[in-house]
Amino acid sequence: MERKRLEDYAEDIYTCNRTRCGFCREQCPVYHVKVYETYSCRGKMLVGRGLIEKTLSPFEEMAQILDHCLLCGLCQARCALHNLDIITSMRREMVRRGFSTPVHRENVQRILTEGHLLDIRTAPKRQGQIPLYVGCVYRSKPRELATALSVLERLDIHPLIGDETCCGYIVDATGFDKEFEEVQEQLKNTYQQFEAPEILTLCPTCTITLREKYGLPVKHAIVAVAEQLHKKQGIVKSLGFRATYHDPCHLGRMLGVFAEPREILRHLGIQLVEMENNRYFSTCCGGGGGVNAVDPELSLEIAKNRVRDAIRVDVEIITTVCPTCEPTLLRAAGRLAGELGTFVDVQSLWDLLDKALQ
Amino acid sequence: MSTGQVDKAFAELREIFGDRATTSSVHTMAYSRDWSPRYREMNDLPDIVVIPNDTQEMARITKVAYRYEIPLVPFAGGTGMGGGAVAWKGGIMVETKGLNRVLEIDEQNMTVTVQSGITIEVLNAELARHKLWLPHQPESKRACTIGASIGCDNDSTFGVRYGKILDCLLNAVIVTGRAEAIRVGQRKASFSSTGYKLLDLLVASEGTLGTITEATLRVVLLPEAREVRGYLCRCLNDTARGLERLLGSGLAIESAHANCRNRLHFYTHSYRERYGREPQLPEWADAILFLSFAGDRDIVAFNVDKATRIMVDEFNAERVGEQELVEGWWDSKHRLEFVPFKQKWPDSQRQKKFGAADLGLPIGRLEKGYLRYLQIAKKWDQEILGMTIYNESPNKATASISFAVFVDDSSQDKVNQFYQYVREMSEMAIELEGTMSTYIGDGDRLGGFNQFEHGPGLKYMRRIKRIFDPKNIMNPGKKFRSRWIEYDQGAHT
Repeated sequence: MERKRLEDYAEDIYTCNRTRCGFCREQCPVYHVKVYETYSCRGKMLVGRGLIEKTLSPFEEMAQILDHCLLCGLCQARCALHNLDIITSMRREMVRRGFSTPVHRENVQRILTEGHLLDIRTAPKRQGQIPLYVGCVYRSKPRELATALSVLERLDIHPLIGDETCCGYIVDATGFDKEFEEVQEQLKNTYQQFEAPEILTLCPTCTITLREKYGLPVKHAIVAVAEQLHKKQGIVKSLGFRATYHDPCHLGRMLGVFAEPREILRHLGIQLVEMENNRYFSTCCGGGGGVNAVDPELSLEIAKNRVRDAIRVDVEIITTVCPTCEPTLLRAAGRLAGELGTFVDVQSLWDLLDKALQ
Repeated sequence: MSTGQVDKAFAELREIFGDRATTSSVHTMAYSRDWSPRYREMNDLPDIVVIPNDTQEMARITKVAYRYEIPLVPFAGGTGMGGGAVAWKGGIMVETKGLNRVLEIDEQNMTVTVQSGITIEVLNAELARHKLWLPHQPESKRACTIGASIGCDNDSTFGVRYGKILDCLLNAVIVTGRAEAIRVGQRKASFSSTGYKLLDLLVASEGTLGTITEATLRVVLLPEAREVRGYLCRCLNDTARGLERLLGSGLAIESAHANCRNRLHFYTHSYRERYGREPQLPEWADAILFLSFAGDRDIVAFNVDKATRIMVDEFNAERVGEQELVEGWWDSKHRLEFVPFKQKWPDSQRQKKFGAADLGLPIGRLEKGYLRYLQIAKKWDQEILGMTIYNESPNKATASISFAVFVDDSSQDKVNQFYQYVREMSEMAIELEGTMSTYIGDGDRLGGFNQFEHGPGLKYMRRIKRIFDPKNIMNPGKKFRSRWIEYDQGAHT
């Protein structure tokens, strides 16, 4: 299928150029660290204009700057344009013109040849009642996957897991257009559940990719958990502490799953303290859009800023439900503890459920 | 300015700033515009972009610019409507967002000292943790910085109670065109009658005298409660007379804005998105006065009640019964809260661009000004967007007016037509004993043409400019020269 090219977004780009409201800029986690206007969405829209009008041509530094976008969608929530599609189309333009980051090329190649992005440490095929797409990250984390499956089982949700290959999010997000088509074919040939009426997922990024790029009827498993807890009142013990909840970009802003994780925290007897930026306007952990692959230091700085948000509301625990956010925030929390002497723990909502269901 | 000079300047800046200085086209392109109307092909590219982090670094940049006689343009929110932040003569673009720290919150003296690149929204988030706030609140506060507010003398939602930036400003540091950093003002005192008021001179100077790097501002206590009300009025004049009467009664009004019917549409985007319907106004209502009241709850309740009685009983106005409409307007004006993914500004400018003449008129000439606006906009083929009257001076009705139009920016001729509209509106302001601009500034549109307003005074302004900036490196092509509007000696005397 022919994807939209940058030129197809000209109207949006010109609208941004004439609007210049800057609502996207200040909170952009990348711009906040890098400061050059170019790293903000508004700046990129002028670069897009230059490319369309051919006053600019692609070059290495341009490609690098475009790779420094988390694709977190915060700019789009503050806007009314197709910001993410535009930035992704600019990345595609870079790749098409021969400017791509080596680490992204390697990742794409690995997904195409091996079917997954990360080292697979568990192959949890199992029989069950409802299909569950595990995703690369959880397949590389046996303990975390076992915890999630155990929680689901205890709530009478019995996942069926079969063969699967990578959903290809990172291939699409980093602009490898043709390769993404191959990845899609690969998944379609491997995954047996394309006819299922509902598929559960564990990773927010897989969830949005399977829904939007494959048209699959996916539901993040945490939503199913919230439904079960609602039916089975009183089966969890109260954990009784204060915590804040970090909305993963894909699960929250893009899929609109805000209430269910908070409902679960209420069931667990956790006093939820919201960070200043939450729900639609939650800021990214720093792990999105392939930024952690091209610039881990930037990713860390962004994560530290998110942990600072939690420190500001005086909590000791951040909980979240994304296999990328959890380690990214935890690494930053550890680094900040060294700098500030204050440690904020990061705990997966699955771990909290595991404790509360015992 | 030759290529060689730019190369030498960049080599020095790169030596000092490393990656915080660049000539890369991917960066210069991102600084090629502000929010002023310009046609498609118009790109004003700086040669160099550099990010200073403190006053000393700003002085070092200015020294380089001074040595090589290269233009130096400060860039902040990039939301200016007058072309003030575009480097149309090339040179060094200073990204002031590196100057983003709060230096001191002095709760005892109710002051805050900041670097100039902090945005007003971020500063207020920080102040709120101390139960304080800076009441200078332009609608662009999400992007607009303290330095830009001083440099542009922009509007403030709460002007009728707290005034504009100058009413909050106690002192500021400016790095002049001589590369000297000087602090001007009265330290933490509110007034001074010693010397000349150099601090006042910085306000609306648009970077033409130097770059502001720090400021100390008077802050106030966060109010406990706030209520907003709307009143349908039979004419624009009633909004000004009504406000004057309310203030005369001793009521404390926190903000006051009057909209014509057309302009209400623009400000109720949030209402329409949320409720899926158009605002319904009675035919007789020609204007709407929006007021906010803030303070302790009981005082606010009293103010609301008394204000309503005065407007209804004495001005035959009607309170807007649908409070959702009023809150939707307030979302646009102050909260800046929009339905996610449906923000007002881009959503309303898909075809044409917002543009305005921002005149200041005596309050008795609102009706006349409005009628002339309709005629002049029609003459220059500008689509009417509507009129908002801002009250920007404490405890009195004033008329800082945005006469807005939708600008067709598809060609140079169309954009020129908009600036002809601005020219004729500006002439009308002088004729009605007002001023050409109250919150946009001269930028690259009124400079030079403003001789029509200032007469021989402009000569003295040029001399002041030379004292601060003898080599004319500070934001050249602004204030004293227009790219759009010619001053015709014969026609304008």
